[in-house]
Amino acid sequence: MNQVLHDRPRLADPPEARQLRPLAPYLRTVGLYALTLWALVTLVFFLPRFMPGDPLRALEDADSGQYIYDAAERERVAAYYGLDKPLVSQYGSYLSDLRKGEFGWSISQNQPVATLMKKRLPWTLLLTGSALALSSTISFFAGVTAAWHRGRFADRSLIVVLSATRAVPEYAMASALLILFAVTYPVFPQAGAQRPFATYGSPLEGIADVAFHLFLPLTALTLGLAANKFLIVRNTVISTLGEDYMVLARAKGLSRRLLKYRHSGRNALLPFITALGIQAGFAVGGSLFVETIFNYPGIGTLVERAVFARDYPLLQGCFILLAVVVLIANLIVELTYTKLDPRVRRR
Amino acid sequence: MTATTTTCVPVPEPVAPRRRTHIAGTVGGLIIGFYFVLLLFGSRLAPFRATELAGSSLASPGGAYRLGTNLLGQDILSQLILGARASLLVALIAGVGTVLLGGIVGVVAGWFPGWFDAVLMRVTDLVLVVPKLPLLLLVGALTGGSVLGLSVVISLLFWPNAARILRSQVLSLRTRTHVRAATGFGAGTWHQLRRHILPDLALLSVAEFIPAAGRAVGLQAGLAFLGVGDPTVPSWGGMIRDAVNFSGLFITPAWKWWLAPPVIALVALIVGITLLGAAAERRLSPRLARHTR
Repeated sequence: MNQVLHDRPRLADPPEARQLRPLAPYLRTVGLYALTLWALVTLVFFLPRFMPGDPLRALEDADSGQYIYDAAERERVAAYYGLDKPLVSQYGSYLSDLRKGEFGWSISQNQPVATLMKKRLPWTLLLTGSALALSSTISFFAGVTAAWHRGRFADRSLIVVLSATRAVPEYAMASALLILFAVTYPVFPQAGAQRPFATYGSPLEGIADVAFHLFLPLTALTLGLAANKFLIVRNTVISTLGEDYMVLARAKGLSRRLLKYRHSGRNALLPFITALGIQAGFAVGGSLFVETIFNYPGIGTLVERAVFARDYPLLQGCFILLAVVVLIANLIVELTYTKLDPRVRRR
Repeated sequence: MTATTTTCVPVPEPVAPRRRTHIAGTVGGLIIGFYFVLLLFGSRLAPFRATELAGSSLASPGGAYRLGTNLLGQDILSQLILGARASLLVALIAGVGTVLLGGIVGVVAGWFPGWFDAVLMRVTDLVLVVPKLPLLLLVGALTGGSVLGLSVVISLLFWPNAARILRSQVLSLRTRTHVRAATGFGAGTWHQLRRHILPDLALLSVAEFIPAAGRAVGLQAGLAFLGVGDPTVPSWGGMIRDAVNFSGLFITPAWKWWLAPPVIALVALIVGITLLGAAAERRLSPRLARHTR
């Protein structure tokens, strides 16, 4: 999507095109993401409708809650659920419901899907957001350090440790942490996001309790996310170390910190930020597992229950919500991308 | 080579390029070989059937039940051995599918530049940002999540990485002299692809296949863990799910033989694939390995 071109004169641009230029790429990016979201929403709509089977077939069983006993009753039920309308008009009302923030009714929990998700979204955002922030910080500094000491002990051990944590799936990591630090050595709580029925004397106490419960899930998620970005930062920084400007900076007698972070580390920011966008998806995916293991009250546990009950409206709502979160994160990344590095130009 | 003749300077013995033995690759290969033995002979090695109620509930390891039993009294060792099947089949099918799809898109996009390439690459960008696990859960919950079905969906979601790498390789191959010469002799597209492009992509495809297979193993187990998959087909993810869902797991010592073995089996397989992949990447695509050596 981005093309790194070194500055080249753009002679052919007519003046009015030059004025449009600053906005056009942003609009195009936003348009692409809107297109992706539309494609996903449409996929979710058509998927169950093109599956073999009939949504009312189960109700023809005399034991079902809403027994369909003859053709007229069948038509009445189909009309109630809008299943007698043509697919296009079903699709239209689906889209307009989504625009109003209506995600339908959860079958298993007998509540509006939107209500269920609203309660749980903040916890997932807290978990994934802090995991992304923490893993970014760790991997950036570890990456620069490893590159600086490349080939030596610090570098090699960082590579081994972080590659090993990447190979461990989140649920395995989470269960290992749970067994170690909540069961064998019960330092941290096994489940939940807060003490049950807690009343806090001060907001500070509340924050401490939330952080205490967040610690293990956050660690499990962070370890999985850190390795990838670490390798990217390390390799980019190594490739800058031989550059002329590094030699010059060293010759100027700049401090080691400036050399490390301002001159070489900064060059690793661009691929690092790209990886961050892709990792937003991984973080959301990983949070599904971690939340399930620690019974954390976020979207992940909701999804797990929805899968267990085959509660399709709930599952569909959660998917659309998570897709929006991931796409927004990617969009932000891509829009800041151009700001960060003046060398990036759009075709 | 030794300085027997009357040369003024003793010519040093040329140092033979030391062939790096890939310990990582060997270990990875051994691990995966072991799992393939389980895949091929699992039904003969396992003492019980996976769903068979073999003994009393939560029997500790020993006697007929080498690794104990779960809450229902099913033999853990048998489930563990038979669970290798699901993981390895997904690794193979989804790995091949991912590389195949990515290869088709990459070769077509690389060989036909212009708007066709541009459209294909935009589609690649779109698929790249799709939140994959939630979508897999959704489709899996709808279709029942058979091993084959999951592999197909995984392939459909994860091809963009392979497509990008293979496309850039095709783009670079197009400019090589032997390809240009063939074009000069009037070679057609099909001949070019078969004789000059595809053989050069084979090694790179293997380097793409291994991580794709590893990812598929993790995904299949993860989906089974979240409840997508046939509960009668033994899988490590499903075992972990059963164990974690047992509310008394950590009150009893049962987690030691119920939760730990599938986790270890799974992590060992993924580590094995990762090690093999690292070795293969060094061997097959030296461009990537230069910095990590």
